[in-house]
Amino acid sequence: MNKLLVDVKLKLKKRPKFPLEAENITPDKFAGKPAAEIMKLTIYHGNEEKKIRDFFDVSGNGGEVNDTKIIIDGDLSNVKRIGEKMTGGEIIINSNVGMHVGNNMSGGKILVNGNADDWAGAMLKGGELEITGNAGHYVGAAYRGFWKGMENGIIKVKGKIGNEALSWANGSKPSKRFPKLICGGAGSFLGVHSHGGTIIVEGDCDRCIGADQVRGTIIVKGKISRILPSYKKLGQVKEIELMNGEIIEGKFTEYSGDHSVEKNHSKIDKKTGKISNSSNGRLFVAA
Amino acid sequence: MAVKNIKTVTDVICPFCGTLCDDLEVDIDTKEQKVIEVRNGCQIGTKKYFASNPSGHRYDKPLIKDNSSYKEVSWDVAIDKAANILVKAKRPLLYGFSSTECDAQGKGVELAEMLGGILDNTASVCHGPSLLAIQDVGAPTSTLGEYKNRADLVVFWGSNPVHAHPRHLGRYSDFVRGYFRKDGTNDRFIVVVDPRNTNTAQLADMHIQVNPNEDYELLNAIRATLRGVELDGDVISGVPKNKVIELVNALKTCKFGVIFFGMGLTQTLSHHRNIDAAICLVRELNDHTKFLLTPMRGHYNVTGANQVFSWQTGYSYSIDFSKGYPRYNPGEFSSVDVLIRDEIDASLIVASDPASNFPAAAVKNMFKHPLITIEPHHTPTSVNSDIILPPAIAGIECEGTAYRMDGVPLRLRKVKEAPGECLTDKEIIEKLIDAVKKKKGE
Amino acid sequence: MSINNLILITCRTINQGVALEGGKNTKENVRAAGICAFDKDDFKKLDCIVGTPVKVITDHGEVVVYSTISEEGPHPGIIFIPMGPWANQVVNPDSQSCGTPTYKGMKARVEVMPSGKVLDAVNLIKLLREA
Repeated sequence: MNKLLVDVKLKLKKRPKFPLEAENITPDKFAGKPAAEIMKLTIYHGNEEKKIRDFFDVSGNGGEVNDTKIIIDGDLSNVKRIGEKMTGGEIIINSNVGMHVGNNMSGGKILVNGNADDWAGAMLKGGELEITGNAGHYVGAAYRGFWKGMENGIIKVKGKIGNEALSWANGSKPSKRFPKLICGGAGSFLGVHSHGGTIIVEGDCDRCIGADQVRGTIIVKGKISRILPSYKKLGQVKEIELMNGEIIEGKFTEYSGDHSVEKNHSKIDKKTGKISNSSNGRLFVAA
Repeated sequence: MAVKNIKTVTDVICPFCGTLCDDLEVDIDTKEQKVIEVRNGCQIGTKKYFASNPSGHRYDKPLIKDNSSYKEVSWDVAIDKAANILVKAKRPLLYGFSSTECDAQGKGVELAEMLGGILDNTASVCHGPSLLAIQDVGAPTSTLGEYKNRADLVVFWGSNPVHAHPRHLGRYSDFVRGYFRKDGTNDRFIVVVDPRNTNTAQLADMHIQVNPNEDYELLNAIRATLRGVELDGDVISGVPKNKVIELVNALKTCKFGVIFFGMGLTQTLSHHRNIDAAICLVRELNDHTKFLLTPMRGHYNVTGANQVFSWQTGYSYSIDFSKGYPRYNPGEFSSVDVLIRDEIDASLIVASDPASNFPAAAVKNMFKHPLITIEPHHTPTSVNSDIILPPAIAGIECEGTAYRMDGVPLRLRKVKEAPGECLTDKEIIEKLIDAVKKKKGE
Repeated sequence: MSINNLILITCRTINQGVALEGGKNTKENVRAAGICAFDKDDFKKLDCIVGTPVKVITDHGEVVVYSTISEEGPHPGIIFIPMGPWANQVVNPDSQSCGTPTYKGMKARVEVMPSGKVLDAVNLIKLLREA
């Protein structure tokens, strides 16, 4: 069978006045379609329902989902939802990109050669999202009201991210789901309400790191402005084992937390009546 | 000898703050249709009644901007011009709704849906973070009557009721005798957590002077202490450790406690996470005693706006209809954020004053585009509008339902007629809906 | 005279509430909301009399308001401006993507401006229109 290995190239004609909602720009939606059909897919501009061809020049045809590679040029800082729910294939974005890039993605890869706005990789279920610049708030986070956020997959941000990344992350050793974030620096509330997320910060971060964390690992190779009162210092370590078995070398101070969360203290000793004081969440700060 | 016709209306619901006092008495001169006296109200509520009398500050006819002044026009002309602006807009903002009654709020939802715009209310800049936190972790709450009758420990966190909810302490939370608190304030222990020694803190039994923007760490430390964790360090968020332990003991050993919280938690750094921590704390205190919490809502019917929007769209504020169905995401669709990103191309402001209450950068962008206001008085927003539509003031000149801060609905009374050609908010929005429908050809 | 390293809080006061119901474009509103209240000891560092205009500067803007001594002290290092158009020239519009701007806790510094002019609400907002 002949595989069509032609990239689909999109170029934004000019920066739109209102944000564009581009959830149809995914390998899944482009798969098996020639350029002429891709151009007719819907895109929203304010309250107007438009077509991709109204805003983008399109060339190339989509192949199988996993073989489809979409390359997008132009100033996309106002274009939201690229890569939404994709299951395979590749998207390369050669500029800053708008909110919700790669949300609900379960496979494939997105590379952003620029900064990403808020909600990058929200509700991620698999695949890989790489951002060479900075990202906004809520990286890999759960949408409002969801109690399960990122379940698997990996997000890499070379620059700094904002607040509340990996909120309500849900990883699990038995189910082999290891949601992971690597970033150059972070704001506050990293891994808030995380249940099994893995976060590695190459630089510094702000306050309230690991707030309400139940399970999971947060490693900060730079400085933290303030550690939460509910985290207990355990000691010094020379290496860290992540949930997925990977080993990280280096001298770190180990803290367990978050000890203010009820879930970490649900066992009450029937004899002494004391609440068991263990927590499976861990925070490591470079020593 | 002139005989004044004075009508006294009792059990009037005050339309100012979320306390929604229901015991006002208003005297009206029935001939002049003017408020003469208000009894039982606080200074602010009383002022609102007097300010409703016709004056140079009150609009009583529709106005359209004509160069740098305003000219009076008929309702038909004003509504037609407003509908033209709204129909042409690709991303209109409909904002406010907190100082009007529930029927008008429902009409606002209908209009926003027809226009495919953004619908928002003042919770967006006020207790929105509380709603975000409740959506994440729930809320153990109750009605004000329960607190009046049972609470022996009352915590005001980031809230200053003496200034913002003047009769709250006297009707529900401190200086009032309850069924189980027969000795009133002597049966209650009041705690105030605030960076300043506010007038409320000066009345309290314990004042915790926390550093600004460090409330989360303090809540976290309280929760940890409650769980038996030894705290490191002697000072947390500016509060000595022994005072934290003293507070935890007070919380654990009361019979029935309540936390009332306000802008000190929602408008400081970490916004909704502060409320999240407060709710989790209250929930865990229920392992030891009975504890609940209630947000101190600012406007008298912002709770109603949240209720009405929720019934009709599933979401309580910051709602986007641009795809034809409601979507919710504060930060993306909230008024201040969309204005700062200059995403809006027309605004309809109902029952609120964003020019006074939004940060300057947002107001600047709001003024760049057509602005329609439904507003009874001269405000910084109305005097910069293109069209001014004068309403009857809900709760004074118009009946309707309002929801108190604890979710209890109360029926607002009409005590007098509106001046001039004012119509009710509901009637105005209905006219806009009809005009928009005609222009869209439905 | 000036003071650095202050934290600015904006909030409701009962006078500001009465004034806003009475007329937001009135002089009464300027006296209620166009003010900045200082801790008693901090105010001594300014070396001026109560009512002298001061310029409050944050990372987000600056505004000239009347100075006064807070009745809700002591709170060294903290100043407050009642909510309203004057406060909104200097608050942090960033909501950290939660929708609500950060109206409290901005880093601020203050300079005494004896000949400074405190604008009323209409003229203050007009500047935004013209900008």
